[in-house]
Amino acid sequence: MPGIGPRTAQRLALHLLRQPEEKIRLFSEALVNAKSQVGQCKTCFHLTAGEQCEICLNKQRNQELICVVSESRDLLALERTREYKGLYHVIGGLISPMDGIGPEMLEISSLIKRVDKENIKEVILALTPSIEGDTTSLYVGRLLKPFTKVTRIAYGLPVGSELEYADEVTLSRALEGRRDLD
Amino acid sequence: MIIIGQNGVGKSNLLESVELLSSLRSHRSNRNQDLIYWNQDQACVSAMIEDDQKVSLELNRKGGRKAYKNEKLLTRQIDLIGPIRSVGFSALDLELIRGEPALRRHWLDRIVQQLEPIYSDLIGRFSRLLRQRSQLWRNLSIQSNKDQNTLLDSYDMQMALVSTRIHRRRRRILDRLLPLASSWQEHLSNSKENLNIKYLPGSKLEGEESERLWRENIERQLLEMRSEEEITGNCRVGPHRDDVKFLVNGVDARRFGSAGQQRTIVLALKLAELELIKTVYGKSPILLLDDVLAELDPKRQLLLLDAVGEKHQCLISATHLESFEGEWVQNSQLMQLDSFS
Repeated sequence: MPGIGPRTAQRLALHLLRQPEEKIRLFSEALVNAKSQVGQCKTCFHLTAGEQCEICLNKQRNQELICVVSESRDLLALERTREYKGLYHVIGGLISPMDGIGPEMLEISSLIKRVDKENIKEVILALTPSIEGDTTSLYVGRLLKPFTKVTRIAYGLPVGSELEYADEVTLSRALEGRRDLD
Repeated sequence: MIIIGQNGVGKSNLLESVELLSSLRSHRSNRNQDLIYWNQDQACVSAMIEDDQKVSLELNRKGGRKAYKNEKLLTRQIDLIGPIRSVGFSALDLELIRGEPALRRHWLDRIVQQLEPIYSDLIGRFSRLLRQRSQLWRNLSIQSNKDQNTLLDSYDMQMALVSTRIHRRRRRILDRLLPLASSWQEHLSNSKENLNIKYLPGSKLEGEESERLWRENIERQLLEMRSEEEITGNCRVGPHRDDVKFLVNGVDARRFGSAGQQRTIVLALKLAELELIKTVYGKSPILLLDDVLAELDPKRQLLLLDAVGEKHQCLISATHLESFEGEWVQNSQLMQLDSFS
């Protein structure tokens, strides 16, 4: 399992063996249920137990704003900020020919259709600042340009960190993304 | 210090470890595994340097390495660079003038990397872009033509930006190296030879040095070459096609220079590099001469000794002392390495 080394795995296994049988049964049922019930939202491809996810169903949210993320876990991170009130689109990965991932394998055409069909005022691209993330941002951005305004999140210094401790690459990116003081 | 020993006792290893501590890389290999002794899981390199400072680097076969300064784990390995600087000179460098262009790019990269910390990131990004792009050509045919071109545009844009920055830095370093190298060349040839260095960028860089202008230029060239690239799968524009031309008295040294002349140029370039790093950091780097001094004739050995003089610490590896000029031996500490088996 990702993020779990042999020692942690051993600890978890021993811990589970010590649990009462009932608890283990509930746990395994929960796993099976999760697998059989959780699917993808038909609109934004976030994880959901229903046909559409809670975010898409929530009419309080700004229906004219879409934030594009690579995976559901990025969406969850953005949700934790409680700052973003728009909708999402989870494309399910990043373009990387070396890993055999081309644009046609991601939820990009569904995004274009969605933006074309609905009245979307702005699409925010929130993808990792790597070669693959930048390629995907540029690609999606170019395809969306005819339909709506496209922006991307800023890269730079993490809040609360000291400037002198930032590494050179982050600092140079932050310099690149500088903006007028308002 | 001259390190003497039979083949395989670890002379080059010792020099390589200094290189590793000063640059976090080895000219021999990029992979941790290759730097660890056969059948061992781990390797550790430590050095005591001036002011009782200690720097160490721990390498693991499974990947990953840790850097320590005065026994304290560093969160960023790059912070290890600084206390030790080095300039390497091995028999391989003698091929610099007449060898493949890749050798000259690699040589140039190592100098820029020492002087501009951002540069490694740029090179890494560029080579990844290049690999992704060439893989893309192989995977094509799955997509519609229009989307394909949009995707290529996205690569072009990124490559143009990174290329511009690499070109600019390489040219800038050559500009700084030229006056130093040509003055050494003059010195080494008794004022008979005038050295000129010409940067031959793999993209056409027209006009003034301007990021926007160069970028647009390169993007246009990439677009122009796209139909050809579709057939060959090779990207023909960018810093991976760079070369450097050395001219002695106006004549191309690669094609017309004598073997001795080519060696003099390499020597002049190494001394220039030494001097450049010293000017930038205010401290003399360590010169690492790996099995190369014996390759130089007595006259050039003496000139090198003269130039290095007392100013630079110098580690020299060799199998025997016979080919050294007497003065080198007299002025050096000798260390004999024996195999431990």
